[in-house]
Amino acid sequence: MATNTEAPRPAEQTLFVRKASGLVKGWSTTDGFRYSFFSTNIFLGIWGFLYATFIPGGSVFWAVVITTICVLLEVVVYAGLISAMPRAGGDYVWQSRVFHSSVGFVFGATGWWFILWLWIPIYAALCVNSFIKPILRILGANGAADWLGKPTGVFVASLATIALATYLVAVGMKAYATFQKWALWFGLAGITVAGIILLFTSKAGFISAFNRESLHLYGTKDAYQATLAQFGKGMPSSMFSGSVWQTVRLIPFMLFWLLWPNWGATLYGEVRGAKDFRKNIYQMGGGLLSAAVIGIIFLFLVVKTIGYKFFMASANGYESYIYGYVTKTPHNGDYVSPTAMISWVVNNSAFQVILIAVISLLVFGWWGTVFLSSTRMIFASAFDRILPEGVAKVTSGGVPVIALLLMVIPSIVVSALYAYQPTFVRLTYDATLVIAVMFLFSGLAFMIMPWRVKSIWQNSALPKAKIFGIPWMAVIAALYSIFLAFNIVLWFYDPTNTYGTGYKNGSSLIFMGVLYVAAIVVWIIAWAVRKRQGMALEAVAKEIPVE
Amino acid sequence: MKVRLFFATDVHGSEVCWRKFINSAKHYEVDVLILGGDMTGKAIVPVVENGPDRWQYHMQDQQHDLQGDDEIDKAERLIRDHGYYPVRLSREQVQELTAEPERLEELFATERRRTVERWVAWADERLAGSGIQCIVCPGNDDQPDIDEILATSKEIIVGEGNVIDMPGGYQLVSSGWTNLTPWDTPREEDEPALHARIEAIVKQASAPPERLVLGLHAPPFDTQLDVAPKIDWDSLTVQGQDTAHVGSTAVRQIIDEVQPLLSLHGHIHESRAAVRIGRTLAVNPGSSYVEGTLSGCVVELDGKSKVKRYRLTMG
Repeated sequence: MATNTEAPRPAEQTLFVRKASGLVKGWSTTDGFRYSFFSTNIFLGIWGFLYATFIPGGSVFWAVVITTICVLLEVVVYAGLISAMPRAGGDYVWQSRVFHSSVGFVFGATGWWFILWLWIPIYAALCVNSFIKPILRILGANGAADWLGKPTGVFVASLATIALATYLVAVGMKAYATFQKWALWFGLAGITVAGIILLFTSKAGFISAFNRESLHLYGTKDAYQATLAQFGKGMPSSMFSGSVWQTVRLIPFMLFWLLWPNWGATLYGEVRGAKDFRKNIYQMGGGLLSAAVIGIIFLFLVVKTIGYKFFMASANGYESYIYGYVTKTPHNGDYVSPTAMISWVVNNSAFQVILIAVISLLVFGWWGTVFLSSTRMIFASAFDRILPEGVAKVTSGGVPVIALLLMVIPSIVVSALYAYQPTFVRLTYDATLVIAVMFLFSGLAFMIMPWRVKSIWQNSALPKAKIFGIPWMAVIAALYSIFLAFNIVLWFYDPTNTYGTGYKNGSSLIFMGVLYVAAIVVWIIAWAVRKRQGMALEAVAKEIPVE
Repeated sequence: MKVRLFFATDVHGSEVCWRKFINSAKHYEVDVLILGGDMTGKAIVPVVENGPDRWQYHMQDQQHDLQGDDEIDKAERLIRDHGYYPVRLSREQVQELTAEPERLEELFATERRRTVERWVAWADERLAGSGIQCIVCPGNDDQPDIDEILATSKEIIVGEGNVIDMPGGYQLVSSGWTNLTPWDTPREEDEPALHARIEAIVKQASAPPERLVLGLHAPPFDTQLDVAPKIDWDSLTVQGQDTAHVGSTAVRQIIDEVQPLLSLHGHIHESRAAVRIGRTLAVNPGSSYVEGTLSGCVVELDGKSKVKRYRLTMG
């Protein structure tokens, strides 16, 4: 009976390779790691911790740990999908192949294209509040900082994000890729310095510095104590304590940060095969685990130096102001970002600005790629004839004008809604939910791959080991799908409207409904038009008989 | 007369992709099949004797232990489907091949020729009496010796260096030569030489541009068809996320000058796309041979001067 086992490195030659084009070493492990690490961005985590104040009965620490472990399933699933079908287009292509063209398009378009319109103002808000406003405050440019907090400021920041993302797709990623390399190392150096400051600063020293800078920048005396007094009630004093159920309820918030080690999935191409599966795991898993470990270290340092209850109270203050529950906070409604708080420990404005700016590279080195995967998805569906040919048109300079417009124009509309329509900011978690739905269908596609597309499964480099006759890979995909489905249920069945994505939030349902209906309508129109032209969309990915 | 054609490329020794290519005529209901180059495999997988009636091979980081003819046959089929050549060897023979590159080269030639002969026989059997025109052009990765094997076929027309009449008064200008690559492959040359080569073939064509189809393995430079990960030519390593246009300026120049109706390309597997260059529709369907999937493109010519419609396929 034939047996297949994971092979130790054999002493003898097991493959003779001749000179042939395309035989290259793929994305280096460092490149893949960098992309995953950027994507599970620590600042998404810190931004996500803001929302943990909505579930004070849960343990943030254990929520991070559980989420990380569960997302490791995603790492295996996506490493497998990339290894079996290394294709630009990612989820769209995989789902089209395994399920149907319509499934691939509806979930691919909503997940990689439509919902990224909402990520634009989220990115902008994160950057403005975490870095730009704190720097402006330190520099004394209070007028500019205040303006950035107003709807027009939020909208203009979103437009700037759109402009940058458009510019990068238009002129190419070459310079940005170089910038990314440096941004990672400088950003890591920045957070290392921040970590050292937290490690060697006493809590009393931190409180003193915090109060000093709050008085200097906001005119508020004893801001630390004032924040605790105004917003500390009901906030947890330990990141470990919490009921199991409330901790589980925190997981959908943690996914806002940790769901993305697979973000580079659409960017992998054909590379020299042998070790790809494991290498992909190392890359994505390394990015995820590093981000989680840094996040956890940050939380421990928060407990030691900043005070956990204060940290949550400060977040609660900002959330309360944004959601209109209060009109005044010790920091005039500003988000006091942890980066700013830490920089304030050193009583030197130049140092504070430099530290915040250097740490911000971890975000600025990453957000420019927001349109990259979208344009790939748009191109892939145009080549499959779902979208008109013109959508994939590029100018003589190589600029994908139409694909970019399909991102830019709706992004402007959604950014305007986010800035000027107060209820829209509550839809932040729609941005995670819609992509999670797409990931769920990719998980399901991977789960049934051994049976549904047997030839691809057999040709793949994936381990074929079985348990009770079922491939381990399918079992892992099933567990991953269950994990995502569970979170999706939490997001939708949300009687207290904690996540802002459930049935209690009509705006959210309408927004997501519009996205899905739009994708379905586009596919149906394409199907009808192509059918009239004698072209069956579903045949695009139908397997040709072998015998 | 309307003409439907199916174009695929870069199957790189994958037996399952070759079979799919031949069967695609019926599947997509086309009149003409065109394979755009790089037919032959890149690697030999030694299936090593491991005791009486026991064999072992390694592929994709997995060790496979086999016993009996059925298991070996099945494994060899799997290896062939992946685009590699399975060869049964003793451990001593493996060591000899490792030490003697000339003997390894001979073995590659033997396996390459044997495989192409088998493919030709299979195609002849399948296409006999079908009325399907099947044009196969080798690519830069294919040694010159396969042209003569293809030429023995009753059903296959060899593309290299030729102008081929297609139904409906269309003509195909075909060449598998490319611009220089980092791998020093059998059919590559510098841009001026490539331009001269293609121009010479184009001059043989009698069809007007609106009935001319170019089948050139190298994609035109600076298009969506020629984007590949940037490679360091010395170490053959990918340079991060950086990409580069690696197509041929000669091919681009020919398309710009001649403005054929259609231009079919391959070579860059990850650059699956279709673009307009002036009035020319240029297509690279990419390649997914590693997973046993045939990437292709169905094109319908309207019988006059236009491409009526096209679609990229994954079959």
